[in-house]
Amino acid sequence: MRRLKLANLIAGLVVVALIGAACSSKTGGSTTSAFKGVALNGAGATFPGPAYDALFKTFHDTIESGAAINYSAVGSGAGITQITAKTVDFGASDAPLKDSEAAAAPGLLEIPTVLGAVVLAYNVPGVQTGLKLTPDVISGIFLNKIKFWDDAAIKADNSSVNLPHKEIVSVHRKDSSGTTFVFTSYLSKVSTDWANDPKLGAAKSVTWPSGLQGDGNAGVAQKIGSVQYSIGYIELAYALSNTITYASVKAPSGDFVAPSLETVTAAGAGLTFPIGPKTNVLQSAAAGAYPISTTTYLLVYKDQTDKDKAQTIVDLIYWIEHKAADVAKSQNYAPLPSSALSPIDALIAQITVNGSAVTPSSAVTQ
Amino acid sequence: MISLGGKTEARAPLEGSRRARLGDVVTKRVVAIAAAGVLALLLLIIIVLATGGAKALHRFGFGFFTSTKWIPTEEIFGAAPYIFGTLVTSAIALVLAVPVAVGLSLFVTEVCPKPLRTPIAVLSDMLAAIPSVVYGLWGIFVMVPWMGNTLEPFLGRTIGKIPGLGALFHGNPNGGYNIFTAGVILAVMILPIISSISREVLSAVPRELRDGAYALGATRYEVVRGVTLPFARAGVVGASVLGLGRALGETIAVSMVIGGFNGRIGFSLFHPGDSIPSLIASNFNEATGPGLQRSTLVALALILVVISLGFAALARTLVRRTNRQMRASFARAAA
Amino acid sequence: MSSTVISLSAASRRRLSRARASNRIFTVLLWSAGVLALLPLGFIVTYVVAKGVGILGVHFFTKTPAIIGQPGGGISEAFIGSALIVGMATLFSIPLGLLAAVYLAEYGNGRFASLVRFISEVLLSTPSIVAGVLIWTLVVARLHAFSAFAGALAITVLMWPIIARASEDVIRLVPADLREAATALGTPKWKVILRVVLPAAASGLTNTVLLAVARGLGETAPVLLTSLGSEFVNFSPSKPTDTLSLRIYHYALSPVKSWHDIAWGAALSLLAIVLVLSIGARYLVARSRKTGR
Repeated sequence: MRRLKLANLIAGLVVVALIGAACSSKTGGSTTSAFKGVALNGAGATFPGPAYDALFKTFHDTIESGAAINYSAVGSGAGITQITAKTVDFGASDAPLKDSEAAAAPGLLEIPTVLGAVVLAYNVPGVQTGLKLTPDVISGIFLNKIKFWDDAAIKADNSSVNLPHKEIVSVHRKDSSGTTFVFTSYLSKVSTDWANDPKLGAAKSVTWPSGLQGDGNAGVAQKIGSVQYSIGYIELAYALSNTITYASVKAPSGDFVAPSLETVTAAGAGLTFPIGPKTNVLQSAAAGAYPISTTTYLLVYKDQTDKDKAQTIVDLIYWIEHKAADVAKSQNYAPLPSSALSPIDALIAQITVNGSAVTPSSAVTQ
Repeated sequence: MISLGGKTEARAPLEGSRRARLGDVVTKRVVAIAAAGVLALLLLIIIVLATGGAKALHRFGFGFFTSTKWIPTEEIFGAAPYIFGTLVTSAIALVLAVPVAVGLSLFVTEVCPKPLRTPIAVLSDMLAAIPSVVYGLWGIFVMVPWMGNTLEPFLGRTIGKIPGLGALFHGNPNGGYNIFTAGVILAVMILPIISSISREVLSAVPRELRDGAYALGATRYEVVRGVTLPFARAGVVGASVLGLGRALGETIAVSMVIGGFNGRIGFSLFHPGDSIPSLIASNFNEATGPGLQRSTLVALALILVVISLGFAALARTLVRRTNRQMRASFARAAA
Repeated sequence: MSSTVISLSAASRRRLSRARASNRIFTVLLWSAGVLALLPLGFIVTYVVAKGVGILGVHFFTKTPAIIGQPGGGISEAFIGSALIVGMATLFSIPLGLLAAVYLAEYGNGRFASLVRFISEVLLSTPSIVAGVLIWTLVVARLHAFSAFAGALAITVLMWPIIARASEDVIRLVPADLREAATALGTPKWKVILRVVLPAAASGLTNTVLLAVARGLGETAPVLLTSLGSEFVNFSPSKPTDTLSLRIYHYALSPVKSWHDIAWGAALSLLAIVLVLSIGARYLVARSRKTGR
């Protein structure tokens, strides 16, 4: 008797699933009014996580109601491998494609979306935001040469701060990460020891000399927040939203610059096109620029096969670049400088379906 | 033919038996195929993992097991730190869990008041039912801070000062994210399975032998030590090996608290580390490209499944043999 | 009559008191082992209840996750996804497991059967990550897509041995008299199994299915690799789907405080469901044994 009831329950679930499958196979596009968009799957960087979360949800809620965008923040490396394998509709990475990666995915466009900052976040009881760190100190800490918080090198620039004699616990990324790539590119620029060490250098994944690992920006932020006397590198939004204290970094000009929307925007003005493996805005010479700023990329193929998906992708990117600056800023990410808009429009214009170009629909251009 | 009120249908013997035979043959074939499916599943696991991992094993050869280099960008992978982490966390879990689990099962079979026996067994099964991710969640927010701020510094100050043994508890506990914490949580997780199988084995020890010993004036301790445990020893070992198998394969709770391998294999249990299942879980989704990384992870999965299932096979054999021996002694004693 | 006094030599008295002392220590140790073993359980359950009960509410069960930082989100897609994936897995593993169990119980006296029995016991210890790797290689990689269906297959790998092995024991428990009576009436073996044995074992079989379902609901690693997770409600077997376990995993590893609260709520829900299934199943069996049905 009970087995019968269980069988009925299971049969009911199957029926629901089949109905759901039948329903979801209908496309979301309507021919009468503006394009409604279709569901997309994306995967990649955790660095722009909060921004993309807000952007994708706002796009779905206010612009194209059919565009349910399912984004998995699995790290830049995973994003690149998944879009290369075409298991997702778009990828996301903070690191530009290496030559080998671009060769493995011919026709993959890298389109910058927002600007963010890699901040040195730390958890030292009694120490507020704004600890002044020089490039030498930062590389010394992560090379495991500076081991205690009250090391002379740190005290030199922070005489008014009460630094305890406790071991520094550094936190880094476990997964293949664009944030790691940006941070290690910075370290390679400012430290010859770092650049020349075969286990280190600039890469999405390196063999760190010591410390804890976290999964994604969120995992690193979580460890920093819970482990006392720790320090790690995360995106600004993660530090702000979880009230984690972060450092001001010495810029090439000699000033200590705090990461913020303004200082990141100043660095972003130096973004050059076309995007290549060496594209970056680190150590920007611009006035008031934060030295460890970066942009982040959406990865889409220019030769698309699904008309509705291609339209949704084009609309999404157009909307992010032209109309969604406030949404990005609300999550503490800076929109791209206006000088970047026309190169990006040229990139979007390369997206075609079976030969014919896909232009942004009226849903986003009006 | 016997008529039973006219309701019984009397089928002609030949006709009925042909239908019956067909039905029986079909049924037997169908269920035999389903049973063979179990074997097929095992073979499938081994074959799929072996073919997937062949590329990596071929490239790295035997050095795979001893190398500590893990550099994805250059396609160099070494499994040593992960094998080390898996073995050490499981060892810690066994050392902590076996005495307590066997103690619990002896408690239930020997000391516990009769009405409490079932509730306690039920409670123990509840422990077994808690999902791994809930252990991990509790681990991150409760165990890790307590370990890192209280217990581990305490151990460092006390046992850490003893020469030799102290090397195990040396250094900065990294906030509690380390091999020791992972081992402790594993111990809690494998305790129920060791305890429930031990209970099964211990309660199968023939009553006559124990009663005989009691009649001779032995205390409970002497009976357990002299009669019950020696008889059940292989089964209890089997139960522990089963627990070991579970510890080796445990993925999520370990990955949430173990801290991540940071380049050095050291003696101290306070170092953060990583285990094979935890590594696979966190790296697999990004390793799906054409490179060697996926093959390496599949090879590691193969190693893991061979070790886990190998231990499980050993454990089940031990438990069965013990039960059989005890049934035989019971028969002998009764004769 | 004067009471008989057994006089012991000094050595015997010493041995006796040592034996009593060691016995007392032993008993104390056993009691402490009992307490120590069950302490974590009490601790974990009360902690999960205390932290999780506050977040449960209408929003929690009916809404999908909100934008980071905004209140009012829930995890409805995780509940639906868990039901979908484990529902499908149950659908796959019941026939496979039950039929294998019938073979072992009814026809299983040879070497082949012993081998199958042994292997299904061994497979109970399959590491859950291996199930994920297996189905990823066979299904996800081939179809280039993460899906609820793949997730269900991975969970089936883990549920099948449980149902197969535990059901065999249940079926064997059906009294021989019932079978013999039916056979004596001329019923062919297959009818005996279908019409007599299985119905008699029904409550025990339900028990094993519920236990397997409880196990399936708690798994994270297999679905991580095959179903990926999602923030949208999904009824389609061919799309990436979220589960309660995945949601807890992701939120626990994040730094967002509101997500931690949701993780505790999800853990409480999952724990409650799993414990009810596991323990409730036991009571079902116990009660049905008492009433004789």
